[in-house]
Amino acid sequence: MVTEQWMVEEVRKVVPDAEVEASDLHGSGDHFHVRVISESYQGVRPLQRQRPILNHFKPHIAQNIVHALDLKCMTPEQAGESGDTAFDPHGEEVEFFGVHIRRPDKE
Amino acid sequence: MAEFNWSPEELQEIVDNNRLVLFMKGTPEQPQCGFSNRASMVLQQLGQPFVTVNILTDHRAIPSVCAWSDFPTMPQIFVHGELIGGSDIALEMYESGELQQMLVDGESE
Repeated sequence: MVTEQWMVEEVRKVVPDAEVEASDLHGSGDHFHVRVISESYQGVRPLQRQRPILNHFKPHIAQNIVHALDLKCMTPEQAGESGDTAFDPHGEEVEFFGVHIRRPDKE
Repeated sequence: MAEFNWSPEELQEIVDNNRLVLFMKGTPEQPQCGFSNRASMVLQQLGQPFVTVNILTDHRAIPSVCAWSDFPTMPQIFVHGELIGGSDIALEMYESGELQQMLVDGESE
């Protein structure tokens, strides 16, 4: 089990200039939605944006410390256009189907 | 049929021989994870046939696929043999039209 603050700090180790926001989707410390906003993503393809972060969390994912990680790596422009929802893969309403929920730290 | 051993060669053959491949937990009919379901829903929106590999059928599958693709999470989506990423990227690329374009571009190569 890890905290939102820990997630944010770990992501910043990989993308130091980024604005990072982590949401612990269930309060269980293992399902996270993480938004990473960085100018450095300009012109970089989606997979290449995620790879360094995923590589950093490889051990935690392999050990299931982090069970679910929904990453949104955006440029500041994309962040301005993006909606205010997070994806919850284990939403309670329909098991295994996932639901879009309001990001917990937003009203 | 010969036994499938999840070797890099066998995995490569699957993505080389199929333009759209989804490695997922469960099946599109019975997905076992919300992310896998989201990926399958995105691919269904394309209206094109795609191949799915259920990585819960064999305990060797997840470590083998993740080591081969160098990507730590499931699901994983391959277009014309190239890994594009997981369900978040698939949705993003579908919404921007990049995924549709990638499918078309691969046909002419």
